[in-house]
Amino acid sequence: MAGSIRESGIADRAPALSRPPAARRARGRPWAVLRQAARTRLGPLGVVVMLSALTVAFLAPVISPYDPLKQDLGNTLARPGRAHLMGTDNVGRDVLSRMIWGTRVSLLAGFGSVALAMAAGGLLGLLAGYAGGRTDGLVMRLMDAVLSFPPLVLALALGAVLGAGLTGVVIALGVVYTPTFARLMRGQVLTIAAREYVEAARALGAPGWRIARQHVLPNAAAPIVIQASLSVAFAILAEASLSFLGLGVQPPAASWGSMINAGRGYLQQAPWIVFGPGAALFVTVVGLNFVGDAVRDALDPRLRR
Amino acid sequence: MGRLVLRRLLATIPVLVLVTAGVFALIHLTPGDPIDVMMAESADATVKANLRRELGLDQPIYLQYGAWMWRLLHGDLGRSIRNGEPVIENVGRRIRPSLQLAALAMAISLVLATPLGILSAARRNTSVDRFGTTFALFGICMPNFLLALLLIFFFGVKLRWLPISGYTDPLEEGLAGFRSLVLPALTLGLALAAVVTRTLRSSMMDALAEDYVRTARAKGLTEWSVIRGHVLKNALIPVVTVLGLQLGTLIGGAVITEYVFALPGVGRLVVDAVFARDYPLVQGVVLLIAVGFILSNLAVDLLYGWIDPRIRYR
Repeated sequence: MAGSIRESGIADRAPALSRPPAARRARGRPWAVLRQAARTRLGPLGVVVMLSALTVAFLAPVISPYDPLKQDLGNTLARPGRAHLMGTDNVGRDVLSRMIWGTRVSLLAGFGSVALAMAAGGLLGLLAGYAGGRTDGLVMRLMDAVLSFPPLVLALALGAVLGAGLTGVVIALGVVYTPTFARLMRGQVLTIAAREYVEAARALGAPGWRIARQHVLPNAAAPIVIQASLSVAFAILAEASLSFLGLGVQPPAASWGSMINAGRGYLQQAPWIVFGPGAALFVTVVGLNFVGDAVRDALDPRLRR
Repeated sequence: MGRLVLRRLLATIPVLVLVTAGVFALIHLTPGDPIDVMMAESADATVKANLRRELGLDQPIYLQYGAWMWRLLHGDLGRSIRNGEPVIENVGRRIRPSLQLAALAMAISLVLATPLGILSAARRNTSVDRFGTTFALFGICMPNFLLALLLIFFFGVKLRWLPISGYTDPLEEGLAGFRSLVLPALTLGLALAAVVTRTLRSSMMDALAEDYVRTARAKGLTEWSVIRGHVLKNALIPVVTVLGLQLGTLIGGAVITEYVFALPGVGRLVVDAVFARDYPLVQGVVLLIAVGFILSNLAVDLLYGWIDPRIRYR
């Protein structure tokens, strides 16, 4: 759901995660986690979709049958056929080639914004949880303030001031997702900092930064990874929504959202302009959701439903 | 309950202050000179200077914030630089379609999600359940704008049953007005229904596993009596929470939906203001939406305390 760009799973279930999760067992064994994720019912399907999307994005210059920007005004709104598998758009550009290049934009925005939010939110949550007191209060109220904006409206407002383009969208979405990670990290830090091994490290005179790096961060990583894997799909939806509204990558560059927006005027004559990139977007988001759910199930089976 | 209201109201104040600071900062995040961004490069220097003075951008930032807050506390959210009208008037003209859209979408979502969520949980692992979970997945992964275009394509372009854009007020035009809202409300409502279905199914399954349900069954009550009398009210608590959390989704979805269906609502106003680079209007509308969102969440919190008395005493 385009509007639900922050609706991504486990933040609201953070208390459950603050108990010692099964993630502890999986920590340090990424292959074991992947194996477990692959054993879930829909996980493998999601992995196939994700790997296909990544391959298409990496190989876009090689596999794209046409130049995605090249116009052919003698061949506009051509139906899907042998020459153009997904047809052409209103200025004769090959829809399939533009979809292939659009995959890059979507994945860059999805993974980029979540990575940014993970870094910023993780640091802020670590700071809040570790410092406590006024710093904690200030950081968390700040996060509450960000959460007080409907996500898409906030992204739109930030996109407006940062300017249209992929960078602006990635930063805007990064800001939108930061509080989720900050809350999650803070919760983890508070739980982990009260554990005996942290107290022992403290009693042995280990400095705060070392405790944070060696004991807190590795133990807090699992829920953050789960949240990240669930958030990427929603970040891709959000980028598509912003591009649809005209704030993403600017024409003539291709993105799924902007292609759908450009094609909606030709819905009757050439529905393939809309439904081609629409299907790509939907399948990618469903696939990434499966991956997110599988990672969550593998890292913390108690959250499985 | 009074203490809960007071506690929640007090907790809202610092968040509101930070929200106003954030909205105020928006205009200052603009790379370069915001006046140059808002006005065409060719605009006359005197006009630019006047706008700079009018917006207080020639003052130190703390004075700007103080003056802005002072005006805000007096109900002055600023003026649009495009049409010169106060933000409140701009929003006032657009609020009705947005509220009608939200109400109809909410109604559609509840009508669809309540039976589907209950049936999915009560008939777990049957075809009804599979339909419910697939529907939920479909609704959660489907972007609003794509769903809107699919609905336009089938019901507007192919079947020609419903208008594909524009707005007629149902309070003035009756059926014609209602028809103009059906597709936008379906777009928003289906997406919301997906989330509610998933939550209701999950919370129903939790409630169905409780000891009191086993006792009720052991007394010989029929399955539907158990669900109606014991399970549903307990299962509704997370649903109310999710509905509250989904208010932001509804507002975000309304921005897209109003844009696609050319509905003259507040969501459309935000998009128009963003593209017109009308920053005072963007600031004003975003602030109003955020405050509305905070107050709605506050109402949901209080409702939560009313449904579940244990919350009041925590």
